[in-house]
Amino acid sequence: MYEATDSSLMQAVREGDLGALAILFERHHRSLFNYFVHVNGNRDLSEDLVQDVFMRMLKYRQTFKPDRPFTAWMYQIARNAHVDTIAKRKFEVGLGEKEFAAVNTIDENLKRKQEIGILKRAMAMLPLEKRELLVLSRYQNLKYEEIAQILGCDVGAVKVRVYRAVRALGQIYFELAGQRAS
Amino acid sequence: MNCESARTQFVDYWRGTLEDADGEFHAHLASCERCRAEAEDLRDLWSTLGAMPDEDPSMRLRVRFYDSLRTWRQREEQRRQLFGWLRHPAFQAAAALAILVLGVGTGYLMRGRDTTEVSQLRGEVYNMRQLVALSLLQQQSASDRLRGVNYAYRVEQSDPQVLSALLTTVDHDSSVDVRLAAVDALRNFSASPVGRTGLVQALGKQESPLVQIAILDQVVEMHEKAAVPAIQTLISTTGVNPEVKQHAQWALRQLQ
Repeated sequence: MYEATDSSLMQAVREGDLGALAILFERHHRSLFNYFVHVNGNRDLSEDLVQDVFMRMLKYRQTFKPDRPFTAWMYQIARNAHVDTIAKRKFEVGLGEKEFAAVNTIDENLKRKQEIGILKRAMAMLPLEKRELLVLSRYQNLKYEEIAQILGCDVGAVKVRVYRAVRALGQIYFELAGQRAS
Repeated sequence: MNCESARTQFVDYWRGTLEDADGEFHAHLASCERCRAEAEDLRDLWSTLGAMPDEDPSMRLRVRFYDSLRTWRQREEQRRQLFGWLRHPAFQAAAALAILVLGVGTGYLMRGRDTTEVSQLRGEVYNMRQLVALSLLQQQSASDRLRGVNYAYRVEQSDPQVLSALLTTVDHDSSVDVRLAAVDALRNFSASPVGRTGLVQALGKQESPLVQIAILDQVVEMHEKAAVPAIQTLISTTGVNPEVKQHAQWALRQLQ
């Protein structure tokens, strides 16, 4: 039990051992929080969403299937929670650039800092589905297979979509970087 | 390979997972300036993307989660209790009477003992302590794991999960402080044969003199004669700290 897999813990939750969710929370809340922060740029909102995801896991625990990866199921819930919250709060799909800018608090060398600042602005201007894809594939480092399960498509489609998302980000990023340089 | 199929492999190229055994992809990049420029430009962007710093959520998040989990469990428990008889109104009167009689009778017989409700609450609190201990013991930060060890004092001595977590901590934790605290906490489990054996086995795995001495003290305190071979091995092992060897000889005398 101590080194139980995510899937067996969620199975235990499903069978009524709600306490097993605490271990899953300890394992995943930070990466979920970062997923949301990178997608919406808002720390408070991201904390609300992490809380929401774990409560949804309890509510919809009967929908968990042990033969599918837990991570894919978790991120599916995360995506739904995000979409619902945006709809509820009447957010714009692209969140404010200000929110992304506020996140940057880490000391880095100036050039890298500038690049990351521009990148955050570019991310904020990207459509939500592309931003999500980049966060899952790059920050969360999920495997193609896992992303395919989250999005309900095949691995080949994931590769192409990620490429397109990077390309779209590149167009915005280089435009912003060019404006800055000129 | 044409430009279109080369581009579908860009992400693998950036990720370092490209399988290009026949060299077709690289041959295409060498011959197509446009693809080459795009692959390189976007690769830099991909790399910058990976350098975006991770953030830590506030402590508030953890507090909120545990509060909600507790509330959820209480609610489910209440619901389960209600279902038994509220769903069957025909039996309500009979059940109420039976409960009344049972309650009075049990109350009379069990006077001075805990009520069922208090026992349930105690069970609830115990479960939460066990969970918090187990969760904290898996944390990255040594101070969190220390807190986990402290929580382990508050669970029942017979809890096999917490015992197993503590033994794993003694064997594998990277921090000497955490290992020492776990050795101390295992004192609570001295009645358990698993705990005693685990502690003896841990002696052979430790390299820190502080932890070795703490374990020696504890096996002497428990009069664990089964530790004698492990202590003898420690004494005969080269490279063991001289003070530890001296202490081991003392321990041996105490146990023999």
